[in-house]
Amino acid sequence: MTVLEVNNVTGGYTRKPVLHNLNFSIGKGELVGLIGLNGAGKSTTIKHIIGTMNAAEGDIRLNGKTMIEDPALYRSSFSYIPETPVLYDELTLNEHLQLTAMAYNLDQSVFEARKDSLLKEFRMEKRLNWFPTHFSKGMRQKVMIMCAFLVSPSLYIIDEPFVGLDPLGIQSLLDQMQARKEDGASVLMSTHILSTAERYCDRILLLHNGKIRAQGTMDDLRAVFKMPHATLDDLYIEMTKEQQDEQLA
Amino acid sequence: MNNLRDVWNKRFVFYINELQKYLKYIFSGHIAIVLVFVIGAAGYAYSEWLKTAPTNFPAFLLVAFILSLVFMISPPVTLMKQADSVYFLPLETKLNDYLKLALRWTYFSSVFIAIASFIVSIPLLTKVGGVSKNEVFVLFILVLIIKSWSMLVEFNYRCASNGKYVWVDRFVRFLLMFSALYFILNANFIVALGIVIICVIYLVAWQKKKKEMSFPFDHFIEVEQSRMMRFYRFANYFTDVPHIRGKIKRRKWLNSFYKIVPNGQKNAQLYLVMRTLIRTDDYFYLWVRLTFLSVLGTVFIPFPIVAIVFSSALAFATVIQLKHALLSGHEFRMDLLFPINPDARKAAVNKLLRMIQLVQAIFVLLGVLIQGNYSLLMLLVPIAVYVISELTVRMSKK
Repeated sequence: MTVLEVNNVTGGYTRKPVLHNLNFSIGKGELVGLIGLNGAGKSTTIKHIIGTMNAAEGDIRLNGKTMIEDPALYRSSFSYIPETPVLYDELTLNEHLQLTAMAYNLDQSVFEARKDSLLKEFRMEKRLNWFPTHFSKGMRQKVMIMCAFLVSPSLYIIDEPFVGLDPLGIQSLLDQMQARKEDGASVLMSTHILSTAERYCDRILLLHNGKIRAQGTMDDLRAVFKMPHATLDDLYIEMTKEQQDEQLA
Repeated sequence: MNNLRDVWNKRFVFYINELQKYLKYIFSGHIAIVLVFVIGAAGYAYSEWLKTAPTNFPAFLLVAFILSLVFMISPPVTLMKQADSVYFLPLETKLNDYLKLALRWTYFSSVFIAIASFIVSIPLLTKVGGVSKNEVFVLFILVLIIKSWSMLVEFNYRCASNGKYVWVDRFVRFLLMFSALYFILNANFIVALGIVIICVIYLVAWQKKKKEMSFPFDHFIEVEQSRMMRFYRFANYFTDVPHIRGKIKRRKWLNSFYKIVPNGQKNAQLYLVMRTLIRTDDYFYLWVRLTFLSVLGTVFIPFPIVAIVFSSALAFATVIQLKHALLSGHEFRMDLLFPINPDARKAAVNKLLRMIQLVQAIFVLLGVLIQGNYSLLMLLVPIAVYVISELTVRMSKK
């Protein structure tokens, strides 16, 4: 069963598209890594999926519906963790969680239970009544992560999650993602930390210049590049070399 | 850049453009209407009051007090920037060229407020105080001189003290100017002369002290930054100024207000905007200021019709500015992704504005009760506040 379908999506900021005929899907319980250089189109892809940008062509379906067909279902089907934490300066940590629970219509008892376990997992119990101005970058990131996991949607969209987190925070995040996966949720994660992506992702999307250069499991990618024992780092460098060769030719 | 004069000229042009850019938004908008009504109402009330003012009214005392208060605050406008403390340091001996231009601009840009407050007090001086036309002219010249004295002292004081305890110096200057003006108005010239001599000594003393100190770049840069920040904050009520982040305070004593909002998906935006309004200093104090002014008008304006116009104009200003502030902003916020109706924020803001304007109307009603005239017209003031607020909520586009 597919959770997310991206069908022939072309889009970008102005008329000149950044994304060209993007095609991929994410199945139930899959953790998919979105890998590419700066400017490859990772963030633009994510913006199209979360609906802050509209595709010029093609459509994006979440649980079978596009944003226009059923905005409430579409929006409640995913939660998003941006690369730079976006918090409300005027809300405490507790209020961020409460607001999220209200907006996603969580039952109060469900909210309390999930909240307690998340606070414990990310070691933020003592910061409950703090304002974000007193948080470090990593703590701010943790607030975003907790809000996302609180909702418990069918798809998590996570943009570069590891930068700024301390090692314990990274482990907690990976553990949480693993646990959610086992419960049937899917994850789309964009990252530059290739070793982590290689280790944890079920499938990888290699994005280059707004197109998907290759996708699949590590073995699929190795076959595409004809490099049987390569790591993701090797493949990645190979991909950028190809680009340079094209330019020289 | 050959010398610091050129630096000043360049910065000045940039600064004036920046001012113009935002003043355009400020005065082309609703504030012009509000100003017309508020100034009109206040002016009418003032002129009506003058007709019946008691002859024993302490006009000189009041004028001396208000003018000194206005002259007291004369912060220098230096247009200094963060990097100046590094790049200007080797040029410290040539800095005087720059500062002369800065002080000249400071004087001409702020003397208008001094002149305006003097002009407003002229009818009071002539009608109640019995001051002649020639004397008014002499006083006008004095106003120009006193203002420049005040500005020079403040500048020298800041240089000499690194900007510490500015309010002590301001208080001293206030006392000196107040007593000088008061004795001059009462034609007690001997005492006035004594005070003037003290004033001159006070200025010269700080000038001497200043020469012993190196120029406090950091202080003036800070003054400049907070001055521009205040301007941008103010402009932000009318248009979107990029990168303006409001200061946040918890204001715990208002926590019980949040209980009005019940739990539930449809109340998520109200939950958010209520906290935004109460905890963001800019928004919260805007409401407090305008409400306070409105109550003040109700208590002190003796003509009900004028009070109605005055408070209505302020109610209009409160609603339209807060509505703009709460609904503008192009930055990405997480609530843009919430699975709720996209119009929910607007509805929540309207609901919140209705609540706080009801509170404003209640405060104005208290003002009516305090001032003691319980005529039907006077009771219309709080009703006008509520009705105008409601109409503004409904008719404003954003």
